[in-house]
Amino acid sequence: MVLKIYFPQCCNRADSGLMVGRWIAGHDSAVVLAVIHYPFIPGQVKRYIQQIQAQSGVELSVLGSWSLPKEGQEGMESFLRDLSTIFPQERWLQINREFGKTGFTCEVLTQDQNGGTTQQEAKKKKKMVEEGDGEAVGDGEEEGEEEKVIFVHYEQKKVMLSQLHPIENGVPDPKADPPSELRQMFRMVANSQPLFFLDKYDDGPLKTTHWQSEGREGSIIVELLKQASAPLCLLISWLLSIWTCFCNIRIFSLYPLRFLSTKLSTCIQLSYRTEHMRTLSSAKPAAGHTQFMRKANILVSLLVDVALGLLLMSWLYRDNHITMLANALVPAADHIAKELDELLQWLMGAPAGLKMNRALDQVLGRFFLYHIHLWISYIHLMSPFIEGILWYGGLSACLGLTFALSLLSDMVALLTFHIYCFYVYGARLYCLKIYSLSSLWRLFRGKKWNVLRQRVDSCSYDLDQLFIGTLLFTILLFLLPTTALYYLVFTLLRLVVVLFQGVLHLSVDFINSFPLFAVGLRIFRSFRLAEGVKFRVLCEEPGTALHLMMEINPLKYGTVVQTYRTPTYSCYPKDSWTALVKKLFVGELIYPWRHKTTKTD
Amino acid sequence: MGPDGLPGPAVPWRKVLWEQQPFPDNYVDQRFLEELRRNEGIRQYRYWTVVKEAGFVGQQLSCVAIFITLWLYMEQGLLSPESLLWHSLVCTLLGYVLYQALTSHDESGCELRTRLADLQSATIFLSFTFGFSPVLKTLTESVSTDTVYAMSAVMLLAHLVSFPYAHPSPPGSLSLNAALFASVCLASRLPGALHTFAMLSCALLVFALWPCLLQRLRENAPGHFNALCVGVCVGGICGLGSQSPGGAVLLALALGSVTLLCPLLLVRLQRHKDNIQGPWDEAEIHEDLSHFLH
Repeated sequence: MVLKIYFPQCCNRADSGLMVGRWIAGHDSAVVLAVIHYPFIPGQVKRYIQQIQAQSGVELSVLGSWSLPKEGQEGMESFLRDLSTIFPQERWLQINREFGKTGFTCEVLTQDQNGGTTQQEAKKKKKMVEEGDGEAVGDGEEEGEEEKVIFVHYEQKKVMLSQLHPIENGVPDPKADPPSELRQMFRMVANSQPLFFLDKYDDGPLKTTHWQSEGREGSIIVELLKQASAPLCLLISWLLSIWTCFCNIRIFSLYPLRFLSTKLSTCIQLSYRTEHMRTLSSAKPAAGHTQFMRKANILVSLLVDVALGLLLMSWLYRDNHITMLANALVPAADHIAKELDELLQWLMGAPAGLKMNRALDQVLGRFFLYHIHLWISYIHLMSPFIEGILWYGGLSACLGLTFALSLLSDMVALLTFHIYCFYVYGARLYCLKIYSLSSLWRLFRGKKWNVLRQRVDSCSYDLDQLFIGTLLFTILLFLLPTTALYYLVFTLLRLVVVLFQGVLHLSVDFINSFPLFAVGLRIFRSFRLAEGVKFRVLCEEPGTALHLMMEINPLKYGTVVQTYRTPTYSCYPKDSWTALVKKLFVGELIYPWRHKTTKTD
Repeated sequence: MGPDGLPGPAVPWRKVLWEQQPFPDNYVDQRFLEELRRNEGIRQYRYWTVVKEAGFVGQQLSCVAIFITLWLYMEQGLLSPESLLWHSLVCTLLGYVLYQALTSHDESGCELRTRLADLQSATIFLSFTFGFSPVLKTLTESVSTDTVYAMSAVMLLAHLVSFPYAHPSPPGSLSLNAALFASVCLASRLPGALHTFAMLSCALLVFALWPCLLQRLRENAPGHFNALCVGVCVGGICGLGSQSPGGAVLLALALGSVTLLCPLLLVRLQRHKDNIQGPWDEAEIHEDLSHFLH
């Protein structure tokens, strides 16, 4: 039987007193939380413990006695034994440490049914090497018999603030295994906060030693922020309610506007940020670690976003950059149109030596040329207003860099609308042709597609069906290279635009969802996100027990990002590569990026 | 009782393995292979009957040759599309009359309806072909001549190979389609849209309607059918000969080998046939449907 005692670092040099803590249910371990010094009145101690229990919900009890006798004080063996009768426990620990020596001695008094106490035979001398002290290691002497005791030293502040991952929230599942010993220990220390409020400057009846006994830690900035946050939240929620009322005006729920608002990424980003602000401005404080981290991440990402946006604005509105951009835009559009023109002229000739059908070539080429002409006229019509649009659009960057990027993506989509149109025409034509060709090829061989059985069956066709089918098959087959080439060219153009938009969306998504606060916490206060613990063996000699130092193992960066990612309308490819290639080959329209709705989570 | 299979005490050997017998497992007695049957379903071919049947194949080959001849004439400008069209129309009408005359008179009740349906089909064909002929004309403009010839040759070969010689009346899909594909490829090489239209009508006549008439003829007037086959073969050779003598020689050789040589080979090689059947064959289930008719 091995008894584990979790002993706080801060109490290593505490004066003699009573150890207060808790036994961990189901395991043979005890956690020491604080030491109450002599002199004390037992009644007051009991009252204090009950008070703490009521405040924190952790069942505390007196575990035993701790003695570190100063010079001149003799051993108080009988006094200590009396103590065990005052605070009746099943097991009573008597830990002894001597100045100048590095070992702890521990006696375990068990109370059996008869009410008498027996003292465990095993009395070990513990070896301990204080970290950084470098004291000499003593020799191990008496061998132990039945009960071994292991001392696990822990840093109280770190364990209290740390959160063990994976996080278990809410009501524990009765069918699941009971939480592990480590989890219980962490939870116990974290919940015992009221125990650590009594410091040495308080004028209470009791004197305790724990990690805060030198004086409570606090920060003025944090307190000020806490005070200021309440009215700020009220203000934000009031603004949000006005904004929501505005958005719900009936006129906005007409069909075209609603459709447009689902397609424009600016509107999506706007609704998304509204959700975030709503989360932030809720009056209730965060319940649980996950909620707190989520709120903190959202706040930090919002602040970073706005900061980057303001940076962009300061660059944009300086030195006439807007005018430069506006003046560069119309010639750029002209240039694109001219390139497209040349491309179509090339296609209408004999591109790459391919055999194009002249008549169809001319028809398609002229059709697309006319479209380009229309579009160029439209751009020229808009050119006086471009500067104004850019100026007002740049103002949106004050809401955040993500808004500016979404606006850019929308503008790119609007400017390349003609490419999208061409792509749709080409794809539809090609798809129709491929579909008809495959059906007519089956007719050529005398077979038919059986829709009921989803397979190809033989079929005897009539004479006219055969005749007309063969003629159409021949025509479509010889016109295939022409259509396929146009389709290929416009699909490539469309893919380039989609790629660019995808990059913009991915960066917006990254800014939205990256848990900056969690990563910062991992870098600066790595003990707060714990994956587990590691034990360092301080000194082990045969025949004596172990002294272990428990250190927190921080979470890996990848796991941090994965656990604390804010769920977003993340942009990810809808199809795998093979499905995409197959769709391209058949001529189906592709929308490669898919947006999840914000209704998830 | 040794392994040589000396029979034991008067226990006859039975061809079963589930009983312990005094014989070894691979023992056979003198009734071995008595159920073997050799060349059971063999047919006795008679030379001239086979030649008559093979004549049909030669006839189809000559049809293709006649079609190619007509195309060659049109391409060289020796035949005008209008005259081809008129001739095709006349032949169609004659053939239709013959077809109706040969039909048995059992279904005379629905004659008018059938004639209307035929007229409708003909209208659809002609209008469709006429409407699409400008498009068809430009189909192979950018394809090189060699490719066009190669494609047509392959398609005509596929037509000959997949032609339903046993029962040509519902035309086989693949054979008709291949022939039409080849004719479209060839017709698109002609100088005008009207040429294309004429060629396609001729192709329809030769590949789609002519076999139907032949089928009727074969059923009702076998003697005339054979004479017709011979006539078509001769016509094919002569027609091709007027354009290219080498082609005519080749055609004659092909016809000779198909109609005369191959049947000889078939009949001669029959005596090398050696099929064996016996109780080891897979069981065939012969459905006796006669009890459904009671």
